[in-house]
Amino acid sequence: MVAVDMPPQTRRRAARSPQTMAWLLSAPALALMLLILLVPMLSALVLSFTDYSLGATELNWVGLDNYEKLFTRSSYEKMLWATLTYVLVVVPMSVGLGLGAALLINSLGRGREIYKTIYFLPVMATLLAMAIVWELMLHPTIGMVNRTLEMGCGTWIESLWPWLADGCANGMPIWLGDKDYALWVVCFIGIWQGFGFNMVLYLAGLTGIPRDLYNAAEMDGARSAWERFRLVTWPALGPTTVFVVTITCIRAFQVFDTVEALFPRGGGPSKSAYMMMFAIYEKGIKQNLIGVGAAITMLFLLFVMIITVIQRRLTERKVHYS
Amino acid sequence: MAEVKITDLRKSFGDTQILKGIELKVADGEFVSLVGPSGCGKSTLLRIIAGLEQESAGSISIGTEPVSGIRAADRNLSMVFQSYALYPHLTVAENIAVPLRMRQMTRWQRLPLAGGLMPGAKRREQEIAAAVAQAAETLEIGALLDRKPGELSGGQRQRVALGRALVRAPAAFLLDEPLSNLDAKLRVHTRTEIAELHRELGATFIYVTHDQVEAMTMSDRIAVMMGGEILQCAPPQKVYADPDDLRVAEFIGSPKINVLPAEADAMGRLSVLGRDLPIAVRPGRQTLQIGLRPETLHLARGDAKIVGRVVHLEHLGSELFAQVAVEGLQGRLVLRAAPAQAAALQIGSEAGLDFDPASALVFDAAGMRVREILTAPAKSLAQAV
Ligand SMILES: Nc1ncnc2c1ncn2[C@@H]1O[C@H](COP(=O)(O)OP(=O)(O)OP(=O)(O)O)[C@@H](O)[C@H]1O
Ligand SMILES: [Mg+2]
Repeated sequence: MVAVDMPPQTRRRAARSPQTMAWLLSAPALALMLLILLVPMLSALVLSFTDYSLGATELNWVGLDNYEKLFTRSSYEKMLWATLTYVLVVVPMSVGLGLGAALLINSLGRGREIYKTIYFLPVMATLLAMAIVWELMLHPTIGMVNRTLEMGCGTWIESLWPWLADGCANGMPIWLGDKDYALWVVCFIGIWQGFGFNMVLYLAGLTGIPRDLYNAAEMDGARSAWERFRLVTWPALGPTTVFVVTITCIRAFQVFDTVEALFPRGGGPSKSAYMMMFAIYEKGIKQNLIGVGAAITMLFLLFVMIITVIQRRLTERKVHYS
Repeated sequence: MAEVKITDLRKSFGDTQILKGIELKVADGEFVSLVGPSGCGKSTLLRIIAGLEQESAGSISIGTEPVSGIRAADRNLSMVFQSYALYPHLTVAENIAVPLRMRQMTRWQRLPLAGGLMPGAKRREQEIAAAVAQAAETLEIGALLDRKPGELSGGQRQRVALGRALVRAPAAFLLDEPLSNLDAKLRVHTRTEIAELHRELGATFIYVTHDQVEAMTMSDRIAVMMGGEILQCAPPQKVYADPDDLRVAEFIGSPKINVLPAEADAMGRLSVLGRDLPIAVRPGRQTLQIGLRPETLHLARGDAKIVGRVVHLEHLGSELFAQVAVEGLQGRLVLRAAPAQAAALQIGSEAGLDFDPASALVFDAAGMRVREILTAPAKSLAQAV
C-alpha cells in the first residue's frame, strides 16, 4: 500500500540498498577470511609448485615435482604409512575408550568428579612435559615399564605369554629406540592423551539424553544394558560421535609434539614415526625446503578437507533428528 | 487385561514422604483417572505401578500376581509418557514396532542385517508390520509411518506414543498426562478418542492428569489425590455432587465451589452469615463450612439469604458467571446465571442471592464432609424446649 505512493527513485533505492548494505556489512568478515585463510592457503598452493626456500633470491617453477617426490620417495611413503597408521589406531581407540569411560563414569553415583579429573589430566598436561615422564618410564633398563615386565619373568605368566618369555630370554624391548615399537608407543601416548577429551564430550552428550527414553525402553522390554545402549544411548550420541570422530581425526593428523619430544633425531628409528606434521616442520622450516613443505601441507589440507566434508554430510543428513 | 490392586503403598524420597498409604483397586477393563494438583505424587504413583520406581512400603498386584521386585519390563504394562519419549532416530513405524520387536523376536533375529536370515525372522517381521499397520489405522497415523518424530506435530507425536502403547495387548495401560502438551482444541478431540479407544479395547487404563475436565469426561472413576493421599475415588458425578472432603469439592468443578462459614447452635441448627437455614446437623455447637456450587446459587425473587455487590461478570455465551462480593466474606461468591438474567446483574449493583438448602454441602471445620443432615426443628418449637 505504501509502496504505491512512493516516487520511483525512492523505490529503486529501497530495493538496492539492502543488498549493498549486506555486502558492506559482511565486507570486514570477508576481508579477514580472505586475508587469514584463503591467501595463505593459496600461497602455499602456489609455493608447492616451486622450489622456493626462505631467503633465496629466485624461485623456479617446478611443476608437479614436489608432489611426485611425495609419492615416490621412501621417506614420504613412510610418512604416509606412519600417519595413516597413527590415525587409524588412535581415532577408534580414543573414541571407544572415551565413550567407555564416559558410560562408566555416568553410571557412577559418587566419585564422578574425581574420575573425570583424573582422566582429563593428560589432556591438560602439556605433552612436552609429559614426554620426559614417558621417556623415563620407557627407558630400556631403568624404566618402570621394563622393570615391571621383568618381574613377570620366571613366573607362570611367562608360560602363558610367549611375548614376555621372549623378552625375558633376549632382553626387553628398547621401545623408543626400536622401529618395530616406536610407532606403537607414539600411538599409545596419543590414545592416552586424547581419550580424556573425548570422554568429556561424551559426558556432555550423555547428560542431554532424556531419562524418559530409558524408561520407555524399559517399558518396551529392553532388558539388558546392551539393548538400552543400542536403542537409546548410541543413537542419541550420534551427533556427539560425528563431532568427536572428526575432531579426533584432525587432531591425529596434526600429531607433532610427541614425535618432536620423544625422538631427538627426528621421526623415530628409521623414520618409523615420521608424521606428516613433523615432516612439514622438518622440510619446510628446519631444512628450509619450502616447496616440499608446502606440498605436504596441501596433502594435509586435503585430508582435513575430506574429513570435514564427511562430517558436514553426516550432520546435515543422518544424525540430527529434530 | 487385568485388575490392578494397590495396598497401603508408601514412598519417600529421603526424608520427605511423597505417598502416604495409597489404597486403590482398579477393576479389569476400568478407566481410572488419578487427578490432583501438581506435585501431589501422581506420576510417582504411576511410575511405581510401572516398576520404574521402587516403593518404600506396601504392595501392588497386577492380575492376581503381586509384582513387588518384578522389573518394569516384565510387568507387561504399556506406558505413555508425558514427554512422549519417542525414539528420535526411528521412524514412526519403527517406534511403534519397538515393543513387539523387543518382546517377540530373539536377540539374533533383531540383528541389523544377519537377523533377517535367522529362522522365523521373516514371518515375525511380517506379523509385526501387520500389527503396526493396524495400530496406525486405529489412530489414523497411517500417512506418517515413514516420518521421524522430529517431523511431527505435538498431536501427531502423542498419537504415535499411544500407538506404541496400543500395539501390544498389555495387562494395563498407564498414561501420564498424555494430553498436557496439546492445544485446547486438540485436547478435547483426543480425549474423546482415548475414551472411545478404551471402550473399544475394554482394557484397564490408569490415566494421570491434573486437568479435572479430562478426568471428568473420560473416566469410569476418578481418584482425587492430594498431598500423597487418595481423598476419594468414585465415579465423576459422585465426586462432583457428593464429595467426601472439602479439598475434593474445591478441586473438582470450575468455577470453584463457593465456601461459606456456617455456625451450628446447640441444637445443631445451621446459620450462614447470621441467617438461619432450615437444616441441622447433629446437636452441638460448632463451626462448619458449607459448599455451594455456582449453579445452586440463584438470584433471589423475594427475601434474599445473602446480599452482596456484583464486582465482575463473565459472559460465556451459553451461561454467565457473576462474582459477588459479600460483606463479612473474604472471597467472592460465584453465581451461575442464564444469559437472560444479564439485565439484572450489573457491575456495581446490589444482588440478593438465594439457594436451596438441600443442595448445600456441609463440611466440618477440618473439611470432612458431614453427611448427616436433618431438617431443622422449627425455631418456635426449639424455643419452647
Ligand atoms: N526422584 C525424586 N527425588 C526426590 N523427590 C522427588 C523425586 N521425584 C519426585 N519427587 C517429588 O515428589 C513429589 C511428587 O512428584 P510427582 O512427579 O509424582 O508429582 P505429580 O503429581 O506428577 O505432579 P505434576 O502434575 O506436576 O506432574 C514432588 O514434590 C517431587 O518434588
Ligand atoms: Mg507428573
